[in-house]
Amino acid sequence: MRAAFAALSLLFAAPAAAADEGGSLFSPSYVEFYGNAEFEGTAFAQEPRFPGQHHNNGSFALRPSLLLEWGDGDLAFTLTPFLRVDSSDDRRTHFDLREAKLDWRSGGWDGTVGIDFVFWGKTEAVHLVDIINTDDAIEDLDGEDKLGQPLIRVTRLTDIGAFSAFYLPYFREQTFAGEGGRLRAPLKVIEDARYQVDGDEAAPSFALRWANAVGDFDLGLSAFYGVSRDPALEPVDFGRRLRPVYDDIVQLGFDGQYTRDATLWKLEAISRFNQLDRNLDNTDYVAVTGGFEHTLFGIYETPMDLGLIVEGAWDSRGDDALSPFNREAVAGARLSFNDEEDTAILFFGAADVVTGSTSLRLEAERRIAEGWKLEAEGSAFLNTDDDDLEASVQDDSFLRLKLSYFW
Amino acid sequence: MRESGDQPGAASAAGADNGHGIENDSGGAARLAAMIVRLRWLWIAVSLAILVVSFMGAGRLSFDPSARIFFDPLNPDRIALDRFETTFAKDDNLIFVLAPEDGDVFTPKMLALQGRVTECMWRLPFVRRVNSLTNFQNTFADAEGLVVQDLVPDLPYGATGETSVCDLTIDPGAVTPAVAEQARATALSRVELVNSFVNPEGSVAQVQALVKLPEKDKANEVPLIAAEAVALASQVEEAFPDVEVKLSGGVMINNQFAVSGKQDSATLTPGMFVVILLVVGVALRSAFGVLITLTIIAISAMAGLGALGWTGQPLNSVTVLAPLYIMTLAVASAVHLLSSTRQTMLETPDRREWARRALRDHMTAITVACVTTAIGFFSLNFSISPPFRQLGNIVAFGVLVSLFLTLTLAPALVTLLPIKRRTQRASANIWMERLGEFVVARRRLLLPGSLVVVAVMALGLPRLVLEDDFIRYFDERYEFRTDTDFIEANLTGVNLLEWPLDSGESQGINDPEYLAKVKAFVDWMRVHPTVTSVRSVTDTIERLNMNMNEDDPSYLRLPQNRDEASQYLFLYELSMNYGMDLTDQIDIDRRIIRVSNTMAGVTTADMRAFTEEARGWLRENAPELDTAPTGIVHVFNLISYRDVRAMLTGTLLALVLISAVLLLVLRDVKIGLISLIPNLVPAVLAFGVWGYSVGAVTLAIAVVIAATLGIVVDDTVHFLSKYVKARRAGRSPEDAVRYVFRTVGSALFITTVALVAGFAVLAQSGFAVNGDLAKLTTITIAIALAADFLLLPPLLIWLDNLVEKRRGPSAMKTATAAVALIAAAAAFSGYAPQARAETPEEKGLAIAIEADKRDLGWVDQRANGVMVLRDASGNESRREFDSLTLEDPDPALGDKGIIVFTTPRDIRGTGLLTHAKVEPADDDQWLYLPAIKRVKRISSSNRTGKFVSSEFSYEDLGSQEVEDYSYKWLRDEPCPGDAGRTCFVSESYPKNPRSGYSKRVSWTDQEEYRLMKVEFYNRRGDLEKVLTFEGYEEYLGQYWRAEKLTMVNVQTGKETDLLWSDYSFKTGLGEGDFDAQVLPRMAR
Repeated sequence: MRAAFAALSLLFAAPAAAADEGGSLFSPSYVEFYGNAEFEGTAFAQEPRFPGQHHNNGSFALRPSLLLEWGDGDLAFTLTPFLRVDSSDDRRTHFDLREAKLDWRSGGWDGTVGIDFVFWGKTEAVHLVDIINTDDAIEDLDGEDKLGQPLIRVTRLTDIGAFSAFYLPYFREQTFAGEGGRLRAPLKVIEDARYQVDGDEAAPSFALRWANAVGDFDLGLSAFYGVSRDPALEPVDFGRRLRPVYDDIVQLGFDGQYTRDATLWKLEAISRFNQLDRNLDNTDYVAVTGGFEHTLFGIYETPMDLGLIVEGAWDSRGDDALSPFNREAVAGARLSFNDEEDTAILFFGAADVVTGSTSLRLEAERRIAEGWKLEAEGSAFLNTDDDDLEASVQDDSFLRLKLSYFW
Repeated sequence: MRESGDQPGAASAAGADNGHGIENDSGGAARLAAMIVRLRWLWIAVSLAILVVSFMGAGRLSFDPSARIFFDPLNPDRIALDRFETTFAKDDNLIFVLAPEDGDVFTPKMLALQGRVTECMWRLPFVRRVNSLTNFQNTFADAEGLVVQDLVPDLPYGATGETSVCDLTIDPGAVTPAVAEQARATALSRVELVNSFVNPEGSVAQVQALVKLPEKDKANEVPLIAAEAVALASQVEEAFPDVEVKLSGGVMINNQFAVSGKQDSATLTPGMFVVILLVVGVALRSAFGVLITLTIIAISAMAGLGALGWTGQPLNSVTVLAPLYIMTLAVASAVHLLSSTRQTMLETPDRREWARRALRDHMTAITVACVTTAIGFFSLNFSISPPFRQLGNIVAFGVLVSLFLTLTLAPALVTLLPIKRRTQRASANIWMERLGEFVVARRRLLLPGSLVVVAVMALGLPRLVLEDDFIRYFDERYEFRTDTDFIEANLTGVNLLEWPLDSGESQGINDPEYLAKVKAFVDWMRVHPTVTSVRSVTDTIERLNMNMNEDDPSYLRLPQNRDEASQYLFLYELSMNYGMDLTDQIDIDRRIIRVSNTMAGVTTADMRAFTEEARGWLRENAPELDTAPTGIVHVFNLISYRDVRAMLTGTLLALVLISAVLLLVLRDVKIGLISLIPNLVPAVLAFGVWGYSVGAVTLAIAVVIAATLGIVVDDTVHFLSKYVKARRAGRSPEDAVRYVFRTVGSALFITTVALVAGFAVLAQSGFAVNGDLAKLTTITIAIALAADFLLLPPLLIWLDNLVEKRRGPSAMKTATAAVALIAAAAAFSGYAPQARAETPEEKGLAIAIEADKRDLGWVDQRANGVMVLRDASGNESRREFDSLTLEDPDPALGDKGIIVFTTPRDIRGTGLLTHAKVEPADDDQWLYLPAIKRVKRISSSNRTGKFVSSEFSYEDLGSQEVEDYSYKWLRDEPCPGDAGRTCFVSESYPKNPRSGYSKRVSWTDQEEYRLMKVEFYNRRGDLEKVLTFEGYEEYLGQYWRAEKLTMVNVQTGKETDLLWSDYSFKTGLGEGDFDAQVLPRMAR
């Protein structure tokens, strides 16, 4: 990789000698090639529930990035392709452009043109407000892996906060596991989605956001209009397969965090209109999630910090919601060792307060050598109610080991 | 079956409407209601317990009579004022103004009287010094040189008996006519006296006491001295009927804050009770109903007071009215429940069933009303002014208690008291039905009509002027105000601005160049039309120069060299009488001259304009002296601007939360959005009405929207929930509106009348902050009812008939924009106290200040850092990062910094943004996680933790501000590592108790004030770590930066090197680069 970097540097440096610093497109002031490669193995505790599913799984992923900057970084280009090869799920073997974008800034303005991903929100377990990118759902269950979204963003930073406007010209459909994959719906989800409003993937969406830090409060307000990032599934092919259905929605969101001493109080709330629910009805609903995170610094006279996380989530649709987090209580702990290897363990449990369905989640990581990181991830599904969304994955409790190399 | 109309006061006719299927029972509510009624004795016991606990809490209350309650200790303007007062003395003044009938204060009798008054004021409690015409330190030359003498010499000061009453008898021969004429001639020619101690006509004179309150017993010190001052004044007026005495000054202002608060609560409370009795009596027509209501509001108000008492905070002139707010708000919910009992008693003779049904049908509505009101008041916590935060919390708490009592104690009492059952149906409310018909019929006119009214009223918004003249917070009913107005009209201005003009060096005030600039500034101010008088020591110095040159008038100018100025002042002070010195005009270090100017007949805006003009002059003519003025007047000048800005967020949050509650209750998103209009329009209209009619408004305006939002929303909820019910039952929009008027119209009307009447009583307060808040609230609530009756129904009908799908909540934008219009930013730089090293503590501080000062002005800095961690056996690990720092020149604010890691590679791009704060406040910190592109605010309360497991703690790496420590110089010795240089060795002690250290010992070299070595002692007092600095390089010709910092933990043997390279300065970074919202792009 270092050779590649050197080659790239040479390629760009040659014309740079002639031009002024940052003067020409071919002479960026800064070039960096970085990224990571990842090997992962997953073991499932139980036999597959549905025919066609493989038992255990191995996978490889590559996420290289190229960063070019001009001038003082006022103009920058980032390219981050992503490739995963999976042993048992042909759909999980996929390619995506996570980033391919030009960032520019000038005075109090900045903007992005291209493919990017954007995160909004404050809470840990459920991300209600976050809506710009569609989930790359076959990557992981935590909702934090996203498909690159083509967008144009303009942000104006003012004394009373940052105002951003987004134009999203093209819609990315959510990914679903293939027949061989675990952690999927009982039936195969076909790739030919249906759009309720006349339109297709080229239907544009729009979003506005205001965010600011005021004293001890970090606040955000957002509005979104366009294709819902959460599809409903309808049975097709005489009930043998499922088809994703998308419709236009409007979503208003609020997210806030109050930071006081060692405690962070968090709240996210959305009001969404015209969303399709599990019964394919268009409904308006309100969803709220919030809680606190309290850190005990230096427990037992060690350098370790223990963060306690308690959150609740509520969705006015109840069991008709598309998200499993509809009436959920979440409690967990994050142990940061603060050692040279940045060892950290996150463990939490989420329980549906109505049905009692419970899922447990473990994430642990540690650097094992310069550039190498070992991660363990596990999820367990307990006491799953047959009507719950988790029902189809109740036999898919797993433990996953990941070894990543960063350069 | 015909639908029954509703009784006056009843919020709905739940039972009567069952036949139409519009109302339906809720099983959960019915069960809960039954349980509440079953446990009725429990509620009575709990209520009694609340009352007892509240009484105990209220017994702990004290009263804080001070104008400063409005300023948070962290308010930057207040910090500047506190700093000023530690440099010069913190004095409150007490002003006696004597106005003889014959218009001459220089008669022998008047001069003798002023001498007595001067003496008598010396004997008032806590007085540090008295200044008057008679003891003015006059200077002139005689054969032996300088003479300093009282203006009226040889008056018999000193004791005249040991009685507590001061003897005012004057000796008619004490002042000869010749002396009197001499005094007149001198006084009227002296710029130091004219327009401050005497007016140019010589008809009004001032005697001024400077008071230093011990501040041990805040509640009683001010009233004590004020009472004695008033007694002395009336004693003078009695003995000399031809002399008028006017009282003013800081002491009297503070006393006024105490008096008006207590007087408000004493005069307004009976009025409030009368209003409540009237409203409740008319609405319920039942003595027991009135009794129950009074019980509930009394306990609620007491609970609010008790809660404040238990928190240990004192009452003040704003919070003293909190019980009245609570009572007003509690009446509405109590009446709501009781009037519905009147309805249910028609249906059954069973008392418990009355209570059960009333609860079942109205529990939700009452709860929503109280909770939204509480949310609105809780959002007052965003105010920067502590009294409003306290008011918000007390009222919100009281309202929640009243909610509890209304839902428990009220039904319990209904079942237990022998209330007579009425079986006669109240006559249907024809008026409300007629109003409903009218609105439906005229809707095509009403809708555009009301929109025009809204638009016209909104145009009144720009007419609002923020006016915080804290003397005119009190209206003319108070003698203090009329006295002060008299003084302003006849003698001098009462608005005082203080300018600490810093020469930049110790003894610098003797520098002729500096003195000339100060004089030029004073002269500029003296000819400014709004300035009445300017006080500056330069006048004295000029005068002394003349005296020292045989009173030659051509020497009435500043001395030409340093030594002369310094000698004159020295001689002058030596010759002064006891108790007189110059410390109130020059700081101890002889570095700063205090220039004070008074202004008369000015508004807050005038003073802000003058401040800007004066600073413009300074920047142009004496840029090194440029400073923000201070003084309590100045702090008030800025408070509204700051608070409007702060409350913008609070109001937004209240709006979001209350709208969320509405959405939950109405379960209809469209109606929820429409509700924003009747919720916000009233406040905008009220501001508009105020703008047209009054214009000037105090800082109360900042909290009005937040406080009223929760109240006006109740009407909206009742209106809309009935409307939604009727529509869901299949009625046309027009019929639904008729139904709403019939069922809840009169209830809305009555509760609004109750609230308006209550707040109208509060509006009678003579204290403008309370009065304005109550008046604006009254107008807002009244308009809210009008909006709900006249604007909302036509709007609903129109929209429903349009069957439109998408609409934007434009009302919110209007309101926000309106408030934003009023908000404006003002940034004033701080002013740092400087001291000359004398004691070891002062020398230690001086070293720290000097080191800090030498490192000022680098603006911004970029550098690359490498942290090398090494354990006792030599194993290494490294972390590299880029560091960006933005300097904040204000010592009261910390620097801002970003660290972006580049290795280890798995944390590449992880960014840490810090906004440093002066201890003990925590820094603000945000972490950027590149993998998920998330910016997360994190806690920075961990001072002692190790930064990425290095030997540097977060505390070591945080921005180090001078004020974070106290200091002590120990000795001078050769520098460690460079014996050729000499170092100061001094100790510093962290002020924050959460620090991991008991002290630090640091070596600072004497030439460049660079840190060479620091020893850290842990909290047990043992040496824990040693930090050494190597490889200093100078940048931009003045800033020294070390290349290598080594921290060795002497207890574990571990060490960490911090290597810095590629320093660059003034790279063009700005505030906008250190905002949490742009951290992703900075960390890229």
